Amino acid sequence: MSALLSVEAVTRQYRLPRLSLFRPAPMLTAVRDISFTLETGQTLGIVGESGSGKSTLARLVMGFETPDTGRVVFDGQDLAQLSPAAMRAARRGFQMVFQDPFGSLDQRRRIGWSIAEPLRAQGAGGDHARAVAQALEQVGLRADHADRFPHEFSGGQRQRIAIARAIITRPRLLVADEAVSALDVSVQAQILNLLMDLQDDLGLAILFISHDLAVVSSICDDVLVMREGQVVERGPVGDVLTRPAQDYTRTLLAAAALED
Amino acid sequence: MIEVEGLSITSAAGPILRDVGLHVAPGERLGVVGESGSGKTLLAMSLMGMVPDGLSVTGSIRIDGAEMCGADESAWRRLRARRMAMIFQEPMSALNPLRRVGDTVAEPLIRHLGLAPRAARDKALALFDETGILDPERRLSQYPHQLSGGQRQRVLIALALACDPELLIADEPTTALDANVALRITRLLVRLAEERRMGLLFISHDLAAVSRTTERLMVMYGGDVVETGATAEVLRAPAHPYTAGLLSARPSLAAHGKRRLPTIPGSVPPPQELPRGCRFSGRCGQEIARCAAEMPQPVTTAPDSWAACHLLQARAKGAGA
Repeated sequence: MSALLSVEAVTRQYRLPRLSLFRPAPMLTAVRDISFTLETGQTLGIVGESGSGKSTLARLVMGFETPDTGRVVFDGQDLAQLSPAAMRAARRGFQMVFQDPFGSLDQRRRIGWSIAEPLRAQGAGGDHARAVAQALEQVGLRADHADRFPHEFSGGQRQRIAIARAIITRPRLLVADEAVSALDVSVQAQILNLLMDLQDDLGLAILFISHDLAVVSSICDDVLVMREGQVVERGPVGDVLTRPAQDYTRTLLAAAALED
Repeated sequence: MIEVEGLSITSAAGPILRDVGLHVAPGERLGVVGESGSGKTLLAMSLMGMVPDGLSVTGSIRIDGAEMCGADESAWRRLRARRMAMIFQEPMSALNPLRRVGDTVAEPLIRHLGLAPRAARDKALALFDETGILDPERRLSQYPHQLSGGQRQRVLIALALACDPELLIADEPTTALDANVALRITRLLVRLAEERRMGLLFISHDLAAVSRTTERLMVMYGGDVVETGATAEVLRAPAHPYTAGLLSARPSLAAHGKRRLPTIPGSVPPPQELPRGCRFSGRCGQEIARCAAEMPQPVTTAPDSWAACHLLQARAKGAGA
């Protein structure tokens, strides 16, 4: 059986502003020759500092961008080859959760409206109230919360709302980009547990992007360490964290450790 | 050098900081840990004389022996210019985007220390060098957007050091930074506190950052200090159920695979809904009858260490009887 998500030798470059009229614009390689696969029910952590290319990788997997070379294959389909209509249909299968839930929710809309947004984007008509109610309950909120506005919720609750919106299409892959980084420790633990519960209940595959190795160690099966657009280290979290091969991974470990 | 006793701050809706005490001597590094709503930022603002209007402040804030609680703005301004400085989480918004960073750092040197522009520039260069800014000569004439997040935070630290403060208050200075950059910034702060014999008040919700930066630690919840002691000891053997809960909710590097985390149920209530007694009651797994109504008194747990918890009080009484 082929993997749910297969990223094959993907490279993505950006053209930087020209420095001179007479020379070609310099190129920045955000992601270089990256390959990995992700199976249903598995969580893959992507670790790296700002500028390492991890968010570019997330956008490629989500189909917001297409790779210059290589392929992103989701459920047997090469995303770059899909027609706009087929892409819209395929989007049901993968959704994303961002770091800042406040920025990704419309402040003037009741949250029920925001949670149903992916369904409307699918062109699904009719009343989504039942689906919204179910999604809210799945993330540990109440169905009647749908009528409230974002400002009425705490940071942790807003992240639950963002997760409700992501799971409403019953996706098979969730891309979480620094989804718990802005949360307090006690709230972060609740959200991490929620993601693991949802994974069990819905059979989700999760691509979990984070700079925090302790978080990655607690929620991921495998980890891929990125630096300057390339993979510098990969493997099961236990192996990478106990026997890091790279200085960079060791620095990340030191930053996450409590001093003795 | 700075001594706070019985500091309380109250809004129309009720108390938001209750009976806080702390002291920082020259060269000492004190950490303040707490989640959103714990009052840690308000505490920092009150030590800088910048409590928002409409809040009443009682208690004592003594700085170099002078009582500052209730002091007027001009007295605070003299202190802020020369004795104390503060750095924040977001270095970009604290720097003027239209000014060269060298000019930003030179300004207080000219204004408060009366240096000539040339001398101020030389001092700014020395400060850039001291705070580990790469290629300091060139950086002086750059604008904030030309610097990385870590370099910007170093510029802010250089600015904070300009008038040789005796106390530096750092409010979540590493939260917005990459792990390896954050690591270097905390090492820099430790070195500066040691070399300059400068007090450091390091406020953060990141227990790992606090553990490598501070010698003593204060844990806050809902406007109360719930526990204080030597940083390593408090983190090794927390006495207050909230501190213990925070530590165990923290993802572990040694998890090595999916593992459900112990959690503290619920979330911090809004200030007007906080319990009158122990602020942590309602979320605490070890609650007893009197917790919600009665404010717990500090119980000594080790020399110069205490935790405010009814359970410890009951245990101490039991042992004494």
